[in-house]
This record gives sequence, structure tokens and C-alpha cells, in this order.
Amino acid sequence: MSPPGSADTAGSSEDDGVSEAETAAAGGSATAIAVDGLELVYSDGTAAVRGIEMGVPEGEFFGFLGPNGAGKTTTIKVFATLLSPTSGAVRVNGFDVRSAPREIRKSIGYMAQETSIDPELTAEENIRFACEAHGVPREERSERVTELLDLVDLADVAGKRAEEFSGGMKKRLDAATALVHRPPLVFLDEPTTGLDPKARNRLWDYFRRINDLGTTIFLTTQYLEEADQLCDRLAVILDGEIVAEGSPAELKREVGGEVLEVEVEGGSGARQRAATIAREFDAFADASVTETDEGISVTAEAARQHGTDLLVTLRDADLTVTGFNIRAPTLDDVFLAITGDELDTDEMEAGR
Amino acid sequence: MSAPETDERAGADSARPVARSGNSFVGDVWVNFKRWNLKAVRNPFVLVVSLVQPIIFLVLFTEVFGNVAGGAVNQGLPGVSYETYLVPAIAIQVALAAAITSGVGLVNDIENGMFEKVLVTPMNRTAVFVGKTAAEVFRIAVQIAIILGLGVLLGAEIVTGIVGVVGIVAVGILFSLWFVALSNALAIITRDQESTIIGANLLQFPLLFLSSAFLPLAALPGWVQTFARFNPVTYGVDAARSLIIDQDVMTVLDVSWFGGTLDGVVPGVAVLVALDLVLGGIAVYLLSRASSSDVK
Repeated sequence: MSPPGSADTAGSSEDDGVSEAETAAAGGSATAIAVDGLELVYSDGTAAVRGIEMGVPEGEFFGFLGPNGAGKTTTIKVFATLLSPTSGAVRVNGFDVRSAPREIRKSIGYMAQETSIDPELTAEENIRFACEAHGVPREERSERVTELLDLVDLADVAGKRAEEFSGGMKKRLDAATALVHRPPLVFLDEPTTGLDPKARNRLWDYFRRINDLGTTIFLTTQYLEEADQLCDRLAVILDGEIVAEGSPAELKREVGGEVLEVEVEGGSGARQRAATIAREFDAFADASVTETDEGISVTAEAARQHGTDLLVTLRDADLTVTGFNIRAPTLDDVFLAITGDELDTDEMEAGR
Repeated sequence: MSAPETDERAGADSARPVARSGNSFVGDVWVNFKRWNLKAVRNPFVLVVSLVQPIIFLVLFTEVFGNVAGGAVNQGLPGVSYETYLVPAIAIQVALAAAITSGVGLVNDIENGMFEKVLVTPMNRTAVFVGKTAAEVFRIAVQIAIILGLGVLLGAEIVTGIVGVVGIVAVGILFSLWFVALSNALAIITRDQESTIIGANLLQFPLLFLSSAFLPLAALPGWVQTFARFNPVTYGVDAARSLIIDQDVMTVLDVSWFGGTLDGVVPGVAVLVALDLVLGGIAVYLLSRASSSDVK
């Protein structure tokens, strides 16, 4: 099972030059990321990642979903060779993160959570520097710069300094600089946090386009909607552990459909009656019904189709509905379904 | 090293094209050298600020103190004008002021994410910092040359000519390196732009005034003379000053191995090189720790 020219023989120094032949031998693998028992404990004792097992095949659009502080960024930093794992084995593009970090750096693109561009350089200069830093051959650089400026729609402002850009433009420029060397695997750490919906949709388009070209994408996000839109497969991380894995559809099935929230007038007695009616409602065979502060919350596959019928039934039972809302399940709902617990965001913020 | 070969397919399929990388050490140095020079040109404010203060000193000191200080200078060095006496000190001041910006640049890189971004590239990390420092040294050399030209315009005499100019620039660079290292160390420790600037600036004036920069040590109080003996500025200024007037004017180390000017230059250079090595070592240690992937 020992691959020829195994990266382990390259020694642990980061500056070790590994020959092209060795690179070719060790670099071929149909698994982009293979993780076995990854743990990471910060020096202050915080266990940010506690035993993750996962694999991402080449070409997949993989989503890593979790609230703030769940360990998403720590994990992605281990994959990008910015942090050494405390224990466990991680291979990225066939290379071990500990023994061959430089080989990994040659074969990945990484977009950090905070936009990372040089504000004093123009859009074009930022991309050109990234080309040079990633060793793109001189004769290909100009073409690559033009191509990427087009891809992220910044060709018109190529000569403008990045500090003049809007948040969305900066993010797009940042994304472009992560792609200069046509990496087979790209890490995107919460790429759309803080962007307006228009800028976010645009960025999604680019990511889809890159993925269509065969690039494996590993994306972290706090938003179920984003993962739903983009990803082939998801893992949900909570408190440093993977609590669920599967396609977006599978995860949503765990939630059990869409959520209908109904506000009812008349105190807890009315709410109890409404809940009973909802539980006995024929169209919602699989519904889970809970009482909330203002009324009831019904989660059911058919919530959208038959929501109005329930409202009519409630009115016929002399209950006054003061408001209602049908929405897609959120990350909160997924966590509620998976862990049976409300997401405690404050507690999450405290961790890393 | 616990890296079990759990992935059966590793190494089995080598059909995928391997990302080609044209990185070489010299190439990586050059890439970073270019980037930091470009940033310096883009941000003329930094260039101007680190020049303006020394120029103000040069003009004000020669005009305001010239008559008084000239007398003190002449007692020890007959025939040397205060302009000539002051120019090497201003050259060292420029080196000091410009070296501060090195740490500021590093802090900015850490703050805007470029530091981490560079760490994810396959560039050699030593080359990254060599390239950045080379760009700063290059800028310091240009700024010292500007000061020397301005000094000549104001009436300073560089009797050693072009050799002297090159020598003073070289001394200025050697002098700047320990402060470059110090400002980078401050940058990594504080990770904050203001703290780095304030920390480095706080040092600037005591270092300059408690040395042989503006007046001969003989004209200064005893405690200043004692401090000056341990002050790197004294060694830089005395070496540069020996070069501009072609005499041994090293005030704190008495050496007579070579005879003439070199007795003033060599000891100063030796002290500066030793200081560069020590502080450079500390900065390199801090930089490699900051850029390592070890869990902190």
C-alpha cells in the first residue's frame, strides 16, 4: 500500500525540494481529501476538532456546515497546511499534511474567511503577484490574468487599486487569486459571509463554473441555503465533531420538511388546542408540532401545499390566527433535528 | 510520524496532470522584492515621511545650531563645517526612520491577510522575507543617497568622493538592518500597527540625541557619553563620519590597526554587523514561529 515516492520520505522540512518525478508519483489519487481521526487542540487546551473522519472524492462540491466556532476554519486550515494536526492523518491531493506541505500548497487554492488581498495593488497586480507566487510559467501569466479578470467580472477595473473596491468585488478578486495556478482543489472558507444577496449569487455562479470545469471545491458555510444551492454533499460539524453527513436533500429530510409557523390569539389554552388540531390534521401525517411563545410551529413535508388548509381548520375551530409564515428549514432546524437541541449561538462563539 | 497509508488509491492513479510550479529561491526573492517596491511607490506617503523628518533636521540644525555647534565641532575637527559634520548623522537618521516601516509593512500584511495568503503559496518562506527586506534596504540606500546629495547642496563636503558616498550608503544599510529586525520583532509581538510605529518611534529620538550624532561627545554631559558608548547610533554615525571627512573620528572605540580612516570605520562596522546578527537572529526566530503551522 505504500505509494511509490511516498511523500513521507521527503522529510519534514517545508523547503525540501521534491523532484517533479516524485510529485507525479505521489500526486495521483482519486480522493482529494482523506481524513482519519483528525484532532486539533490549541495550546490553551481548546479542543477545536475532536476526531474527524471524512473523505472528499475529486470533482465534488463538498460543503462543511456548522455554526460559528464549530471548528470549520480550524479544519480547513489543517487541510491548507496552515495548522499541523495534533493527531490523526490527513492527506490532501495524495500528500500528507505533515511531511509534504509544500506539495500540497502547489496543488490547492485557498480563500480565507477574511478577504485577503493587497489593498495597495491594483486588481491586475494582485492576480499577477498570485501567479508569480504560485509559479505560473512566465509565458502563461498574462493570459491567465486576463482570463481570471474576466471570470470574476473585474476586467473593467483591472487597473484600479483594490482598496477602492466594494466588499463583493474584493471577495471576487480574492477568489480569482486563489485560482491562478488552476488548482485541482480549492478551499473556500465562508466565502459569502457579509455579502449582499446579489454579490453572493454572483459568487455562487463563479464557484459553480469552477466546479463544472472539474475543480474539487471544499466550502465552509453557516448557511444551509448556501450549502443547498451549491453542494453535492455536506458534513455538519458541531463542537469539533461531525454530527451528520449526506446530500442536502438527505439532511433536509432529517428535518422533515418545511416549517409552518402560526400565531394564535388567546393564550396557552388556545395554543394547546391549535397544537392538538395540527397533530390530528390528516394532510400532515408525519408532522412534528411544537408550541411556541406566540402560537405553534409545524414541521411537515406538505407544509407548503396544505398550510392554508390548516389555517382554515383552525378558524373553523374558533381560533384567531394573527399571523403565519412558511419557510424552508434553516441550519437551526437541522441542528434541532439532529441533536434535539436548540443551537446555542453564544456558547458557540466562545469556542474557536 | 504517524501517517498510515489508509488511502489504497494513493499512488495508483498518476494520470491527473500535476500542477507545474516554477518556483525557485531566487525567483521567489524577486517576486517579493517587486511587490514591496511596488507598494512603496504606490504609497509615497511612507517614502516622503521617512525622508521629510531627517531633511527638516538637516536644514534646521545647520541653520539654527550651525554657528554655535560649528564652534564645538571645530575644537575637535578644525576646518570641518557643521554641515559636513551633520550629514552622516542625518544619513543614519534616515536609515533609522525608514527601517521602522519594515515592521509596519509586516503588520499590514498580517492585518489584511496577505501574510497568511503567502504562507499557503509554495514560495520558499526564507525567500519571502529576504525579498521584502531587500526591497526595504534598496529604498534606504536610495534615501541615503538623496540625503547626501541634499547635504552637498547645503554645503557639506564629501572629501572621499564617490567611494565615500558608496561607503556611507553601505554603513547606513548595515545600520538599518538591526532596526529592521527590531521593528519586525515588534510587529510580530504586538501585531498592531500603532504599537509598532509608536514603539519604534519612541526609540528613535533618545537613540539619536544620546549619541555623537549632533554634537561631539566631548561637549556632552558624562551620562550621555556613557549612554552613547552603548548606543548603536554612535557606531554608525562615527563610521559614516570617518568616511565623509577621511579621518578616524570613532569616539568610543580606540583602534589603531590600520592607520587613518579605516580605524574609524572598521570598529563601527564590526559592532553593527554583530548587532545585525543578534537582532536578525531574534527576528528570524520570531518570523519562523509566526509562520509555522504549529498549533498556538
